[in-house]
Amino acid sequence: MKLSKVFKDGLINDNPIFVQLIGMCSTLAVTTNLVNSFAMGLAVLVVLIGSNFVISLLRNVIPDKIRIPAFVVVIATFVTIVEMFMKAYAQPIYQALGIFLPLIVVNCIILARAEAFAFKNGIIPSIVDGLGMGLGYTFALVVLGAIREIFGAGTLLGKSLFGAGYQPAGIFVMPPGAFILLGVLIGIFNVVRNKKTSSRI
Amino acid sequence: MRETIKLGLILLIITVVSAGVLAISNNMTKDKIAELEMAGSLGALREIFNEEAKFQPLDEGKLNEIIAVNASIIEIFEVYNGDTLSGYAIKTVSKGFAGDLIVMTGFSNDGTVAGMKVLEHSETPGLGAKAEEPDFTDRFKGKAVSDEVTVETLSGATYTTKGVLAGVNAAREVFNTQLSN
Repeated sequence: MKLSKVFKDGLINDNPIFVQLIGMCSTLAVTTNLVNSFAMGLAVLVVLIGSNFVISLLRNVIPDKIRIPAFVVVIATFVTIVEMFMKAYAQPIYQALGIFLPLIVVNCIILARAEAFAFKNGIIPSIVDGLGMGLGYTFALVVLGAIREIFGAGTLLGKSLFGAGYQPAGIFVMPPGAFILLGVLIGIFNVVRNKKTSSRI
Repeated sequence: MRETIKLGLILLIITVVSAGVLAISNNMTKDKIAELEMAGSLGALREIFNEEAKFQPLDEGKLNEIIAVNASIIEIFEVYNGDTLSGYAIKTVSKGFAGDLIVMTGFSNDGTVAGMKVLEHSETPGLGAKAEEPDFTDRFKGKAVSDEVTVETLSGATYTTKGVLAGVNAAREVFNTQLSN
């Protein structure tokens, strides 16, 4: 298996948000602005690389029967570490992410990669897989977060874009807006992706 | 039987190692976290009262007594102006629309609310999150503590407003019954 393919699968072909549609809950909840989306993406990226690495390392030690509890312990450990360090060194973001930071433990992207990839593959491919999937997740979140912040609050990175006269379209920052926008983005992403694949043939 | 024990042991080793790792990272971060929490409280206190005021955490025994009766209280600070005790600041936790609201309410000994600040929340941006802004927090300034505090509701954020009021009023009750005498 080529590493570049593993990486590209995570980022584009099997993008966890736009193609696999997993880990939706936190995606819809935290993407109300760009900074939160990016921070959440990075947190998941770190946890994903860490858990993929450790699980791949232990894949010959962990018996099949107890693999799920073992995965959960490893994942929860990484999430708690990330949470502690964010609380200490990035407190505003820690507060903005709120409950969704500890909930990374139950984010199915991470358990899915542990089960479907890291438990069956070597250490280097597993790290690359974590990197690809994590960046794919971050990419999706950043796009969603940027669009929601621009139209829903009229700002980007907290800076006003359209002047005082702009009346923000509040629906974008509310949960229904997240669903609508995500649906539209998934559609666009898949049209582009399909075009690329068919032109290759 | 033997297999069960083996599985249990493997899981035990994994959990022990992860507990060790967590203990190390807790040690690395806990001082910094405590420091930041204290700084956050003090920053809020300075905004509510004036810059020259001094703040002292309430005697722990008394605080625990109050918490035993009123679970929504987290912390209480005594406020000193020079050497005289001029008021109290009470940190409370209450239910907002989307999670806990941590609110700091300051009281002056003349029986008014000195100010209020929302320290932590997870309310909807653009609606409930406006509870942080001075536009809303200023509505609490100067309210009498003899009656239940009420303010004009934030539009689109009834639950948030109710949650903040619940925190402020829990603090008010403690201030009236336990602190001011």
